[in-house]
Amino acid sequence: MLTQLLLQVVVAVSILLSVGLAGVVGRDRLSLLREEWKSRLRTSAPAIALLLAILLLNRIMRQQGRSLSQEYGVHMTEVFYTIEGEFVLHFQKIASPEANAYFSMSYVYGYVFLLIFPVIAYAARSKTIDFRRLLIAYSLNYAIGLVFYILFIAYGPRNVFVEELTQTMLYDNNPQVQYLTTEVNRNTNVFPSLHTSLSATVATFAYQTRSTYPRWFPIAVCLSISIMISTMYLGIHWGIDVLAGLALAGFCVSLSTYLVDRWSLTAIFEQVRERVHEYRDTVTTPSQENS
Amino acid sequence: MLAASVGLSASTSGCLQHVRSIVNRNEVEQLSLTITTLSADGDRESIQLAQDIGATLETAGIDIEIDMQSREAFRRTVLINHDFDIYVGRHPGDIRPDFLYETLHSKFADESGWQNPFGFTNLTFDTYLDRQQRAGGEEREQAVSRTLEALALEQPFVPICVPHEFRLVRTDRFDGWKQGHLATRMGYLGLDPPTTEEAVLRAAHTDSRPSQNLNPLAVEFRNRGLVTGLLYDSLAVPRWSGDGTDAGGGDEETDGVEEDGDRTYSPWLGTDWTWNENENETEAENEEGDERTGNGSGIDTDTDTDTDIELNPDTQLEPTGTLTVTLREDCQFHDGHELTADDVAFTIDFLSDTTRDDSEFPAPSPRYRGHVDPIADVTKQGEYELEFTCTASEPVAKRVLEIPILPAHIWTERTETASIPAITVADGTTEALITENLPPVGSGPFQFENRTQREFVTLERYDEHFTRRESVALPEPSAETLRIRIDPRSTSAIELVESDEADVTSLALESYVVDDVLAAESEREQTSDSDPIEVIESSTGSFYHLGFNARTAPFSNPRFRRVIARLIDKEQLVSDVFYGHARPIAAPVTREWTPDSLAWTGTDPETPFLGTDGELDVEAARAAFEEAGFRYDDEGRLRVRY
Repeated sequence: MLTQLLLQVVVAVSILLSVGLAGVVGRDRLSLLREEWKSRLRTSAPAIALLLAILLLNRIMRQQGRSLSQEYGVHMTEVFYTIEGEFVLHFQKIASPEANAYFSMSYVYGYVFLLIFPVIAYAARSKTIDFRRLLIAYSLNYAIGLVFYILFIAYGPRNVFVEELTQTMLYDNNPQVQYLTTEVNRNTNVFPSLHTSLSATVATFAYQTRSTYPRWFPIAVCLSISIMISTMYLGIHWGIDVLAGLALAGFCVSLSTYLVDRWSLTAIFEQVRERVHEYRDTVTTPSQENS
Repeated sequence: MLAASVGLSASTSGCLQHVRSIVNRNEVEQLSLTITTLSADGDRESIQLAQDIGATLETAGIDIEIDMQSREAFRRTVLINHDFDIYVGRHPGDIRPDFLYETLHSKFADESGWQNPFGFTNLTFDTYLDRQQRAGGEEREQAVSRTLEALALEQPFVPICVPHEFRLVRTDRFDGWKQGHLATRMGYLGLDPPTTEEAVLRAAHTDSRPSQNLNPLAVEFRNRGLVTGLLYDSLAVPRWSGDGTDAGGGDEETDGVEEDGDRTYSPWLGTDWTWNENENETEAENEEGDERTGNGSGIDTDTDTDTDIELNPDTQLEPTGTLTVTLREDCQFHDGHELTADDVAFTIDFLSDTTRDDSEFPAPSPRYRGHVDPIADVTKQGEYELEFTCTASEPVAKRVLEIPILPAHIWTERTETASIPAITVADGTTEALITENLPPVGSGPFQFENRTQREFVTLERYDEHFTRRESVALPEPSAETLRIRIDPRSTSAIELVESDEADVTSLALESYVVDDVLAAESEREQTSDSDPIEVIESSTGSFYHLGFNARTAPFSNPRFRRVIARLIDKEQLVSDVFYGHARPIAAPVTREWTPDSLAWTGTDPETPFLGTDGELDVEAARAAFEEAGFRYDDEGRLRVRY
């Protein structure tokens, strides 16, 4: 069932991607990407390596961090409930089978598309700076999210409003979806909402690059807002998780801007080599004098 | 001068005394308590019960917090660390009331596991339990009623309800699902495959824990031990009596093995057993015991002739009889080791102390504790025969037949205190209690093949199992492979059965899907749809309850516990949380064992709800608390001295 679902996701996202890339990025950029991908990859290698490393770490820690979290984590469910009360239940007013379908689709397929599309779109630009910034921002989101997940143990609203959320609960309407989400998530990883922070990150990038990709901006904004609402509508996240997700996104975007191009790895490498040379000189000179 | 200073110091000391006695009085604060329970992903009914009960307690002026935990963490907190105020959860229960002994006897208050997690200690209550443990024949029923009535009075925990269990099965690949209870190993044996090709029995299991740990002693990971029951054999299999079932379809007749005439157990690894009652009268023994120990304690031994008020906790229990068990010959564990009387003797010894007397701190097993407690001595009478000296009546002593037989050559190695680098491990935490036990080596009808955490557990048929022998007429494993697929929710488990990806939902369905399942069933019946799907309803002894941590105030106060019990509207909870698919209870036993005085009459016979239709009568609740000696402040908050 998992493979079947994965296949569905792959097919759906591929269709979305091909349509999106054709409509938004354009054929010229894509063909240029085909020619220049090697050199662009080389410039972006550190950022790509960072993201891959963080994703790997994320995968390991989601398993290992569990016991760590259980040992030292702070229980927050009650706190969240006290602060925001029944806020997420407001979204139940728009509950309908259609809304269920729409938000479930956004949460599962839309999210994957939203994350993958800009990676390709920014790789297709001749300037790689946005591409690298995006990868760094993704890495930051995952890394910081992971720390929070270990520090805070909180259950999502579906565990608190058991009765009220039965109608729209993602896992009851689309039971197969849980195979996918439990693969990557567990029920106490709610604060902050990474769905929100990554969506908001993508939307912010879309705003910043709207002159290059004018059509992507509205799509990204609509989709990311849908995803944020879906997390609450489906009973997965608290309003607080979504707010924290937005804050995290803002932080990661600005930090990525600050970090990118700040150090060039080749320059650092050069510098280190020079230092080593200097050091060797200073060490060897006196010893020569002595002899 | 001297006089003056003395006078001064005297006067100030008086003043200081006064100040001190004011300051040293602990402040009387609002009662604030945490209800520990499971998250909805772990047990939907528990959290809903906790929320409903919490809301009612809040209207009664108590500050409530709800602490949701995962399945393992919940059991660790409540059963091992005893770190809770009150908790709401499901008790594995039993079909016979003898589990009450370890559940409530004060001698188990310091142990971990389902034995007295409440820390409930009451000498009078102990005597009821002791009597229940030793009473045979007609006396037994009376003794059980006495215990249950005392329990209803003391409310060490509040029994809430017994849920009805429903499971969905497919009958096109395997049939004969009603032969054994699907919460036990017998439900998965003796199934009739319509064709011999259907070698894989596929179960959808809504609990991921069997994929993480298969240790039959690990209380955090076991509910009623279904999967470990398939891997390990017991000496005998308890028979479910036809009466007193909660469900209609409680058809538990097992393959007509009646030769031994035992109505409560049918043979399994043990082929035969005989009970030899000690000749001296039970009463006489008690007197003897009293005389021996009574002289020092000075308790009125003379007036103790009335057995009803026998109150000497130090009485040495005289053996009541012996149970001689004959084992089936030529049985092997999955690794080829012979299973003999040594393994049985080892298991009994091991369950009562997993350190095997090596350590200062005995570490009894958190499971099966009550089963081995009445066994005072085990004598090997031959390769395949044992004699147990018991300190309980026949039906209670026979509980020992239910324990899983562990291979001695594997578990002897697990007596050491577990060690994890850089972490201090609590005394009495032996390797045996925390090992994942993978791969498990038992002698049961299925053997472990492989697993992937949170995805599946695969068991293979053990072809050497005695049930496969021509000469043995017991239900045997018909499927070559049993594939247990972990599927965290009832809705998706149902979908798996409907889409022919699973044959059975091995755990009971959650109450909120039961109506849909039953509606689909009746629709199938009406349209005479040939869909080979069937709903199986089975009886259970398992119940939901609210447990108090009686180690601390105010939960140690029976008056307080009684008022709390009266704030719980069990009838309403059954309809709100279980959609009516449960039986509200005042006594945590099957219907058959419920005394008339505690039968449900539309309301709780002992602690009726203070209100109507789930709506608490706040004034009445306050009055009840005040009558119990508690006070309210001006803002209607219940105040207690901790």
